[in-house]
Amino acid sequence: MAVLSRIRFLPCLFPRGIAIRGPAIALVAILSLSVRVAAQEQPTDYQVKAAFLEKFGKFIEWPDNAFSSPATPIVIGIFVDDPFGSALKRFADGDTVNGHPVEIRQVKNISDLRSCHVIFIPASAKGSERDALAAVAGQPVLTVGETDDFYNEGGMIEFVIEKKQVHFRIRNEAARAAGLKISSKLLILARRT
Amino acid sequence: MRWSELFPADGFISSKSVPVAFIIPFLALAETATADEAARTNAVPAVRDDARLKKLSSMSVEELINQKVTILGPTESISKTPAAVSVVTQEDIQRSGAMNIPEALRYLPGMDVGQIDASQWAVSSRGFNDQFANKLLVLQDGRSVYTPLFGGVFWDVQGAMLEDIDRIEVVRGPGSTLWGANAVNGVINILTKNARDTQGWLVSGGGGSFDRGFANGRYGGMLSDDLYYRVYGTYMNHDDTPLPAGGTSHTDWQAGRGGFRIDWNKTVDDLLTLQADAYGGEIHEMFITAPAFTPTADDMHVSGGNVLGRWTHTFSDTANFKLQAYFDRTYRRTVVFTEPRNTFDVNFQHEFDPIDRNHMIWGLGYRGTSDSEGNTATVSWDQAHRTENLFSGFIQDEVALVRNRLSLTLGTKIEDNGYTGFEFEPGARLLWTPTERNTFWGAISHAIRTPSRSDNDVIFNQPPGITVYGNADLPSERLTAYEIGYRTEPLKQASFDFTLFYNDYDRLRSTEFGPSPTQPLSTPFFPLHFDDKLFGAAYGGCVSMTWRVTEWWQLQPNYSYLKMNLHTRPGSTDTTTVTTEEGESPENQFSLRSMMDFPHDITFDCGVRYVDRLAMPAPLTPVQSYVTMDARVAWHVRKNLEVSVVGQSLLQKRHAEFSPTAILANPQTDVPRSIYGKITWQF
Repeated sequence: MAVLSRIRFLPCLFPRGIAIRGPAIALVAILSLSVRVAAQEQPTDYQVKAAFLEKFGKFIEWPDNAFSSPATPIVIGIFVDDPFGSALKRFADGDTVNGHPVEIRQVKNISDLRSCHVIFIPASAKGSERDALAAVAGQPVLTVGETDDFYNEGGMIEFVIEKKQVHFRIRNEAARAAGLKISSKLLILARRT
Repeated sequence: MRWSELFPADGFISSKSVPVAFIIPFLALAETATADEAARTNAVPAVRDDARLKKLSSMSVEELINQKVTILGPTESISKTPAAVSVVTQEDIQRSGAMNIPEALRYLPGMDVGQIDASQWAVSSRGFNDQFANKLLVLQDGRSVYTPLFGGVFWDVQGAMLEDIDRIEVVRGPGSTLWGANAVNGVINILTKNARDTQGWLVSGGGGSFDRGFANGRYGGMLSDDLYYRVYGTYMNHDDTPLPAGGTSHTDWQAGRGGFRIDWNKTVDDLLTLQADAYGGEIHEMFITAPAFTPTADDMHVSGGNVLGRWTHTFSDTANFKLQAYFDRTYRRTVVFTEPRNTFDVNFQHEFDPIDRNHMIWGLGYRGTSDSEGNTATVSWDQAHRTENLFSGFIQDEVALVRNRLSLTLGTKIEDNGYTGFEFEPGARLLWTPTERNTFWGAISHAIRTPSRSDNDVIFNQPPGITVYGNADLPSERLTAYEIGYRTEPLKQASFDFTLFYNDYDRLRSTEFGPSPTQPLSTPFFPLHFDDKLFGAAYGGCVSMTWRVTEWWQLQPNYSYLKMNLHTRPGSTDTTTVTTEEGESPENQFSLRSMMDFPHDITFDCGVRYVDRLAMPAPLTPVQSYVTMDARVAWHVRKNLEVSVVGQSLLQKRHAEFSPTAILANPQTDVPRSIYGKITWQF
């Protein structure tokens, strides 16, 4: 504490205010610059969500008729606007899910959602969330979303942010009703509510 | 109080530095905008992005969950609980530098935490704080740690390996509809992590000026794919607190704790948990003992242990049941009383949707608690042994009046206890979420505090020659509480939480002249007895905010106000309890927490807290208002090695926080400025 109390006398040597404010502003500027660099080392939520979206398929069993042959790609459809940048395409590139190659598709028409195996409805499509879910109701399509109401509207997997981490809730009944079997390994990791 | 009093002469914050404190957030805010823009426009160098994506694609689902992210999409949703709730997360506990549970609760909105001496604490919300604050229910992993002896919590024997706590859920206001008796002014639920989330070794240790030395060790392992366990041990040694007049109090102490937890996901829908803890401690205290009423140095001995088993079965996303049983033993030997107590508790809870738009929870419980009191010249009990049986049931239904927007929760607890027989604790809560970012709620609840063992049949000799007798005719203390709250997130960076409450109490404990109607006179001293002649209201509110100033800086200010207006019934001879109860809780409290993440895995956190004065009448000592600060700086030297330095109560050499309860009459002590260092190693 002795050192700190000595600092209090420093302003006497300089014009009032400058002694403290000058260095403090400089310090904040340096800190924010270095912090900006640090923040870039952290992935964004959408990069992590993309990684999840690409991996979820590995924990799902689709009914036999969902794929016409083992070489048929597993189609991940992004409804309207793609928030992932290049991330999802990069993850999918060259990867396979249960032997199927992965195809990323941007879906503009609600009626085209049925031809996907996994669909992601971003927050930007909140207005048509209910219609999109209705369009694939009863079909073996894994529905993934990110808004507060997605789970309550009957979506199967909802991303939730908690303390700067991406978690997810799973509505297993909705998946079962659609003929999808979700692995217990994924169910155990889901947030229970 | 004047501004200058906030910063005492020996403190090092001068008012000159205030403008800087105001400038920094705005500079930082400007910074956020540019950082966000950079992220959106993909200005991030492609090479770094490439490496990052490569790393993400090789991560497991578990690792992805644990990855901290920069948020561009929807943020954390605001709580949709129709009650005044807050949660202390594992990160909050670590970053607050808390050494024990009361310290971890200090910066929560509406909580009132005062340290009495090295080992004793007063913790409450919405008033009636005391060393034995008897209107706050505390549970650890579903096990009640509220003692039926005095009513209240012996904080000196509560704890866990802090690194293994998942979160502490705090409800301010009645939780009686679900938790039953004694959840009058609040409920604290301490939840430890699933053993699956505490795998590997964690060793931490350190020491400092007040917390002389501490060491913690845990090992978590896996017996099979779905069967995980952990074993832990902790030890700590605390110094005395100083006396206001100088010198040290005789209140230093040491304690050790150990235990295990096993979690078995027998199937994806069945989780079986078995856990046990054992502890022991030597606590130095001062008591005023009869018949000479001189201060006596005591070497208290505390020990205990518990075993708890729980089976959770999930039927569907909205239906599950829980069956839980535990055995708990506590032992406490002091110069004024000795108490071994054994408690057995079993309870069952079932949650399901009976019909569309309805979500129902019901449960049944039994608790048996048996004690054996060792009498002394100071404190004795009319009955040496006592076994109490508590039978309880509850039912609650949540009706969605408008789906996802408006819901009404109705429920009641029904209990049959050995002191007052049948008790009902009904409650109604309304929740309105007009938009995703706005939540309004209101509640009316009825809560009770059942008489404690000492309310019922204690015989307590106090200076200068009076004896306080228990009263077996006492009814439960009653509360009808009216609450409203509003949560909003007007900006992505800021959320607010407002609550207001009006508590109407009746049949509160008073101390009256004359012999007890149910106990014979047993000493030549002047007799007093407990009665129920107090009533009145407490009202107040709380506003708290979470402000994510930048990606790396978060501020949490909160303010709470409390006003208590208690009265005695006609015929009462009690002239001190009203002013004591009113004086023991601060009218205004303000705190501000700051959490900063710096590059190279360095974090800096600090908190400033203001607590209004406590104006208790003699023989208690009033406590001056105070402002003090806690700070912590931590550096992750490597991914698995963290070094931290924590300073507590930094703004003055020492300050008083709370006056010891009249029942024990140990001298008032101060909380010293202190510092400790800690190393945490995980492998």
